[in-house]
Amino acid sequence: MNPLQIENLRKNYGSVDAVKGVSFEVRPAEIFGLLGPNGAGKTTIISIVTTLEKPTSGSVKVFGQEVTLHPNFIKKQLGLVHQEVINSGYFDVEEILQFQSGYYGLRKNRERIDFLLHKLNLYEHRHKKVKQLSGGMKRRLMIAKALVHNPKLLLLDEPTAGVDIRLRENLWDFVRELKKEGMSILLTTHYLEEAEMLCDRVGIINHGVIEAMGDTQSIIRRFTQREMILTLNCDLGVPADLLLEKNGRTYRILIPPGKTIGTLLADLKVESAMIMDLQIKEGKLEEAFLRVLKNNSGGGQ
Amino acid sequence: MISAGFVTLFEREIKRFMKVVVQTVVTPFVSSFLYLLVFGVTLGGEVEVHGGVPYLAFLIPGLMMMSLMNNAFQNSSSSIVSSKFSGDLEDIRVAPISNQQIVWAMSLGGVVRGALVAMITYGVGAVFYYFQQGHVLLIQHPLILLYFIVIGGLIFGMLGIGVAFWANSFDQLSAFSAFVLLPLTYLGGVFVSIQNLHPFWQWVSKLNPLLYLINGLRYGVLGVSDVDLLHSVVLSLAGFVVFYGISLWSLRKGSFQRW
Repeated sequence: MNPLQIENLRKNYGSVDAVKGVSFEVRPAEIFGLLGPNGAGKTTIISIVTTLEKPTSGSVKVFGQEVTLHPNFIKKQLGLVHQEVINSGYFDVEEILQFQSGYYGLRKNRERIDFLLHKLNLYEHRHKKVKQLSGGMKRRLMIAKALVHNPKLLLLDEPTAGVDIRLRENLWDFVRELKKEGMSILLTTHYLEEAEMLCDRVGIINHGVIEAMGDTQSIIRRFTQREMILTLNCDLGVPADLLLEKNGRTYRILIPPGKTIGTLLADLKVESAMIMDLQIKEGKLEEAFLRVLKNNSGGGQ
Repeated sequence: MISAGFVTLFEREIKRFMKVVVQTVVTPFVSSFLYLLVFGVTLGGEVEVHGGVPYLAFLIPGLMMMSLMNNAFQNSSSSIVSSKFSGDLEDIRVAPISNQQIVWAMSLGGVVRGALVAMITYGVGAVFYYFQQGHVLLIQHPLILLYFIVIGGLIFGMLGIGVAFWANSFDQLSAFSAFVLLPLTYLGGVFVSIQNLHPFWQWVSKLNPLLYLINGLRYGVLGVSDVDLLHSVVLSLAGFVVFYGISLWSLRKGSFQRW
């Protein structure tokens, strides 16, 4: 049973269609990335999954249960890391986690709270209020809050927005660790590098429609081109449809989909003795993302 | 109904106001002290109350109810509004706590704060009364007092929930307090007996629902009231039902989103 199964989900705000028939699933122990520009509908989908919003139509099931019919069951399965840092001005870190735990029915949860405080390097800051924490600590507190009741499905709504690169890497390591422990994760982000490093599968959403979906690597392969930068000790004749750029005896050559480096070199009649240098440039998820959005704005792909 | 989520939220409500005890308990104590000193002790001799009750004794339960209503209202409303401001109101929405549990936990938080401030007001008033009258101001009907403390706290805690969920700014909240709550309280028989008023104004005063709560609590403390106790009991129960409905409806329709 999939932790999250969304089928033909629609959400209208008056005459505005925020989500227009979206379908995707998050599989057990996978990280699924929902990628899209601002206003694409990512946060609306998260809000529907967490029961903050009601869908206009369609089906959203968490571990087989419809969110609109079994909200309390759903809420216990979910952990949500908000896009924005939450302040909770009156209380310190430990109290915030105790309250959060109590909301989920766990009044005596000291062991789990201490585990998370240690794990997220917050233990020595447990008596500080949120405003006394650094930006990184605040983010870690948001994650601790989401995990305090041991959820099975974690929703990360742009968890690293405005976070520096070192902290971002720490958070990525932690997310990978959670996945290893069997947690299923839905990540929304517009940091494409983050999605490429973390996600098993991605869906690219734009204007409330999923434009492309699949394994991260297959999406990259499908929407980007691999290139070979070849420096030789002699001149080479490269067919015009493969040659992207020539600079002296350095050639930037397109690797056609399905072609191996060996067969391409053989086709081009390049022998190993001729090669001074060879680099392969893989496509990036960011290129795939931009291609998908561009295709769509040009009339769909 | 009494789930861990409910108990946690109730505990949070109490801890919240205890964190800002100067604002939530000490300030009302000081204002009650000043009201009692200025109106009760200094000017009290000049005012005649129907039925021969000393004015200070008449004033004490009025101020108790006024403190109770203000503090119960402020507890739930400022808890919600500050949570909207800091963003943690969505935590409650996302957690498996029902609307009924949220309403009860928050309004009972208001009852506790309101009762605390009301009893402090009684304590201060009783000291003044002892020095003025030479004997202790005994509570005549403790169960009736308890009933009006609980029902008054619940009604105003629930009103605070209703207003806070619809408020879009701190300004709107304080406008409600200043333009609706305060006039009704002041004109609800806290400071004067309506029996001292012209019959027309007596009739107008009887349209003010707060009059019945204030006089209900006054009956609990003194055994005298400007209105029939049964009217106070029935109207307060009806008010409770109405505001319970309003607060539940506000939770369903109002916004949990951050400002």
